[in-house]
Amino acid sequence: MRTAILASLGLSVMPSLALAAEAGGKPNLLSPNGGLMFWTLLIFLVLMFVLSKFAFKPLVAAVEAREAALEEAIRKAQQDRDAASALLAEQQKQLDGARAEAQKFIAEGRATSEKLKASMLEETKIQQQEMLDRARRELENEKVRAIDELRREAVDLALAGAGKVIGRNLDSAADRKLIDDFIASIPKAGK
Amino acid sequence: MRAIRSLFLAATLLALPAAAQEHAAPAEGAAAENVDIITPHITDGFHMELPYWAPPFYKEICLGRHVGEHGCEALWPDVHVGPLTLNFSPTKHVVFLFIGATLLSLIMIMTARAHARHTHAIGRPKGFAAGIEAMVLYIRNEVILPNVGHHGNGFVPYLLTCFFFILTANLLGLIPYGSTTTGNISVTATLAIITFVVIEVAGMRALGSGYLSTIFYWNKDLALPIRILMFIVMSPVELVGKITKPIALAIRLFANMTAGHIVLLAFIGLIFTFKSFVSAAPFFMAVAISMLELFVAFLQAFIFTLLSAVFIGQIRESHH
Repeated sequence: MRTAILASLGLSVMPSLALAAEAGGKPNLLSPNGGLMFWTLLIFLVLMFVLSKFAFKPLVAAVEAREAALEEAIRKAQQDRDAASALLAEQQKQLDGARAEAQKFIAEGRATSEKLKASMLEETKIQQQEMLDRARRELENEKVRAIDELRREAVDLALAGAGKVIGRNLDSAADRKLIDDFIASIPKAGK
Repeated sequence: MRAIRSLFLAATLLALPAAAQEHAAPAEGAAAENVDIITPHITDGFHMELPYWAPPFYKEICLGRHVGEHGCEALWPDVHVGPLTLNFSPTKHVVFLFIGATLLSLIMIMTARAHARHTHAIGRPKGFAAGIEAMVLYIRNEVILPNVGHHGNGFVPYLLTCFFFILTANLLGLIPYGSTTTGNISVTATLAIITFVVIEVAGMRALGSGYLSTIFYWNKDLALPIRILMFIVMSPVELVGKITKPIALAIRLFANMTAGHIVLLAFIGLIFTFKSFVSAAPFFMAVAISMLELFVAFLQAFIFTLLSAVFIGQIRESHH
C-alpha cells in the first residue's frame, strides 16, 4: 500500500513521459494523450483505494478468518480424536482389568470349590473310616466280652459239674485256678 | 437460469453486427470514397454512441462543445504545463474508464458484502461471490505472492486492482456500444508507468543503496580496467532493460486489444460488404473472434498482472 502511494508520488514528477500529441490530422494510434493519462492515473488510484479498502481487504480478511476457523476446527477435531482414543484406551484397559479380575474370581471360586469338595470328600472318608473302625472295635470288644462271659460260664458249669461228680463243693481258689489254666491252654476260638 | 444466460449470450452475439452497423452505415452512404470505420471506433474522441431504439439504433452525443453541424471539440481549453500542452477534457475513453471503475467498484463492493453475508450465514460464500473469491485468491496466492517474494502482501492491492481494472476495461470493449480503453496507448502506458514506479520503488525499498547496482554495473570480481569497461558497456544495457519492461507491458496490452478489435471490425465490415449469403462466413468468423477476444480479455489482464509481479519479484531478489 505504501509502495503504491510512493508510486503515485513518483508518477507526478514524470509527466515528461506523456508526450502531448493532440488534435490535427489523422489520429495516431501510438501518440499518447496527456489528459487521458492523467484521468487514467486518477481513476486508477481512486479505484485502487476503493477496491483495496472496501472489497479486497474484507474479502481476504473473511477468507483468512475462514481458514483460521477451519484450522482451529481441524486442530480441535484432532484434539478431540486424541482425547477420545485415549479415553477408549483407558476404557479398554479398565475392561481388560475387569475381565481379568472376573476371570481370577471365577478361577479362584472354582479352585476353592474344588478344594472344598476334595476336603469334604476326605473328611467324609475319614469319618466313614472312623465309624467303621469304631464299629469294628466295638464288635471286637463285644466279642471279647462275650467270650469272657462264655468262659466264666463254662468254668462255673465245669465246676458245678465236677462238684456233682466228686460229691463236694469245689470252690476253692486252687480249683478255680486249675480250670482257668486249662481253659487258657485251649486255643482261643476264632483266632 | 441457464436458459436466460444462453439467451443473453445469443442476444449479445446478435447485437454485435448490429453495433457494427452504426459504423457501416456511413460507409454505405459514401460508397464511392473509402471511409475508415475502424479507426474512429478504436481511437479516442469527443463523440460517444448511446443505444437508441430507432434506426440506426444509436445516438451520437458530444462530450465537448458542438462546433458547426456535426463537429465536436474539446470541452475545456488546453493547459500548458511547462513544455507540454495538455487537455483534460472528457473523452470517450475517459468516460469508459469512469464507467468501468464505477461498475467494478460497485460489483466488487457488493460482492464483498455478499461474501460477508454468506460467510456469516453458512460459513462460506456461494454463487458469484464464490467465483470472485476464487479469482482473487488465485491471483493473490498463485500469481502475486509466489512471484513478488517475501512480505508480498503490500503489493496485493495494487496488482489485484490492476488485474480487475484491465479485465473490466477489456470486457467493456466487447459489449456493444462499448469502447476498449485498454486499446488506447495512453491508458496502457499510464498503467505501465505506475507499474514501473512500483517496481523501482520496491527495488529501492528492498535493496537500499544496493538499488544503484541495478542501474550501474560495477562488478567487484573483475579487474579495474575491465570493470570500468564493463561499467561503460553494461550500464546503458541495464537501463534499457529497466525501461523496456514497462514499454513491453504497455505495447503488449495495447496491441492485443487493438489488434483483436481491428480483426473483429474487419470481419463485421465484411458482412456488410458481401451483402449476400456469403456474409455468413464473416459472421461466424466474427462470432469466433468475439469468443477469442473474451479469452484474450482475461488473458491480457492476467499477463499484465503476472509480469508486473514477476518484475517486482525480480528487482527485490536481485543482489549483484
